[in-house]
Amino acid sequence: MFTLVIGGAASGKSEYAEGLVLCSPHRPRYYIATMEPFDDEGRARVDKHRKMRADKQFETVECYTNLMSARLRSRGAALLECVGNLAANELYSPSGAGNRTDALISILLGVSSLLEQCRDLVVVSNEVFTGGERYAQGTEDYMRLVADVNRALAKRADRLCEVVCGLPQYYTTGRGRIGCR
Amino acid sequence: MIFITGPLYSGKRDYACSLLNCDRPELEQRAVWDVQNLAADCADLNTLADELAQHDVVIATEVGGGVVPIDAKERAAREAAGRLSCLLAQKAERVVRVFCGLPMVLK
Repeated sequence: MFTLVIGGAASGKSEYAEGLVLCSPHRPRYYIATMEPFDDEGRARVDKHRKMRADKQFETVECYTNLMSARLRSRGAALLECVGNLAANELYSPSGAGNRTDALISILLGVSSLLEQCRDLVVVSNEVFTGGERYAQGTEDYMRLVADVNRALAKRADRLCEVVCGLPQYYTTGRGRIGCR
Repeated sequence: MIFITGPLYSGKRDYACSLLNCDRPELEQRAVWDVQNLAADCADLNTLADELAQHDVVIATEVGGGVVPIDAKERAAREAAGRLSCLLAQKAERVVRVFCGLPMVLK
């Protein structure tokens, strides 16, 4: 089962996505972390999310760019968090793809590779499209990349869920039953 | 408590009036809105949420739907606003998101 979970900042999407992995019968549980901490705020975020996963038996796999290189040793349940970070890393990190077209390919092939390596996959992505368009130059590239990834993954996913103030809203994809809890 | 959320200018207060069957002046007595602005300088979001939950209706505008702000203070404010909304949603008997004037019951 492939679930795409999307939400705005502090919408509760991480916690909800984690819950989906916890209700998967498959083990081991993997957490694919994409945020490279650069400062105290970054480290605090990483710590916060690590705490949320404490005692839940997640194995953390760090992968900042080139998602295709991520290896899961056996076919369990995986949580990829998040597309927003991956997109930024692919566009702006020295080890990233550097442009939108290559970044999109890298991320989509990376997700395909994960799908082959696990039984349940939950991908967390970001709703960054309702805060207007007036951003620093170059931001549009980033937003378009996230949007392209979101649409491509939503097409492929078994279910699409938007989290609003911690509450999941499922959009049907016209295939099968939706909802896990 | 009923928690109403949604984007800016989406008709949240009008919806609250129709829900409570009251006019705007009465709504001021029974509801509180723009609570997202209270989160930034709050040391204890849970207590704030408990206090707000004394109202019949609590209204928050969604502010987490843009690109992450460059300014650290703005980032923290947006984060706090989102957390407050999650807490209010947990405490609410009912949660409604108003979108283009149309209500969708989330809980």
